Amino acid sequence: MSNNKVTRRQFLSYTLTGVGGFMAAGMLMPMVRFAIDPVLQKKDGGDFVTTDVAVADITEEPTRVDFTFEQVDAWYTSEVTNTAWVYKSGDSIVALSPICKHLGCTVNWAGDAEYPDQFFCPCHEGRYEKNGKNVPGTPPLGPLDVFEVRESADGLLEIGMAVPNNLV
Amino acid sequence: MFYTGRDSAQFLAQTEYIDTAIVPLIPVHVTKETMQMGASQADYILSLANALENQFKGRVVAFPSFSYVSGQSKEQLLVDWKSAFAASPFKHILFLTGDSEWNQLDGSIFWTATIPLDSMEPKMRGKILEDQVRQLIPRIAEKWNSPS
Repeated sequence: MSNNKVTRRQFLSYTLTGVGGFMAAGMLMPMVRFAIDPVLQKKDGGDFVTTDVAVADITEEPTRVDFTFEQVDAWYTSEVTNTAWVYKSGDSIVALSPICKHLGCTVNWAGDAEYPDQFFCPCHEGRYEKNGKNVPGTPPLGPLDVFEVRESADGLLEIGMAVPNNLV
Repeated sequence: MFYTGRDSAQFLAQTEYIDTAIVPLIPVHVTKETMQMGASQADYILSLANALENQFKGRVVAFPSFSYVSGQSKEQLLVDWKSAFAASPFKHILFLTGDSEWNQLDGSIFWTATIPLDSMEPKMRGKILEDQVRQLIPRIAEKWNSPS
């Protein structure tokens, strides 16, 4: 055979080093993974929720759009469905929150036959104009909130956080 | 509003606006033959009560459901409930039920046909409930506008 024969002693020490190395790696890898975990966390994309409505299909007539997202309360995750009244105003898309500013009922577009171009709250007959401005003389004291909106890469409407009305 | 501590505090501060109580009446069926139908019916009525609460949050308080077994006198139950609410700040009580035995008993009974929601996807469920609520809006508005 060749000159560099592997002795029994060498063979055993190589094997032991190899096996020991694997064991050490097996222990260290998860530790390293945990240590750098915060860096690997995936960032949520600004809390926008994608709806199934195409931006191109939105008309000037406010329509109801439901969007569902996961809400995490401590370690309990639930699915929450929210609604927005969405319409096109000029070139921009407006998404109004349906929550009445009075006591929190849900407002409906054209909910009162006498005012077909206003939002109507059936609880106490509050009314809002199309841009969310509360009609003076009805119970609500402020305008409807608006949602932040944007268009996704494939043309779908994305809805974000509710912010105070900036159209009034 | 729901019958919870936090909502009750708000309700007591706003009694001039929040004047309607919703009480679901749920028959409990426990025999082998009727249980599934009864449970499905209860599920629908409770979901509908929640959907109504969501629509009319600022005017109604949705109470925990009242459950009963067959054989109890409905006339007596109704008298008890009404006299209890007569002493409350509520102006309207609305008993929501799918049990046809209540039908025609009193003007405050809101009987509605139940739709089995069991095998529906959540999205479909939401859609159905939303439609049902929309149909109930005029009935409830009429009740509010009529003096009682």
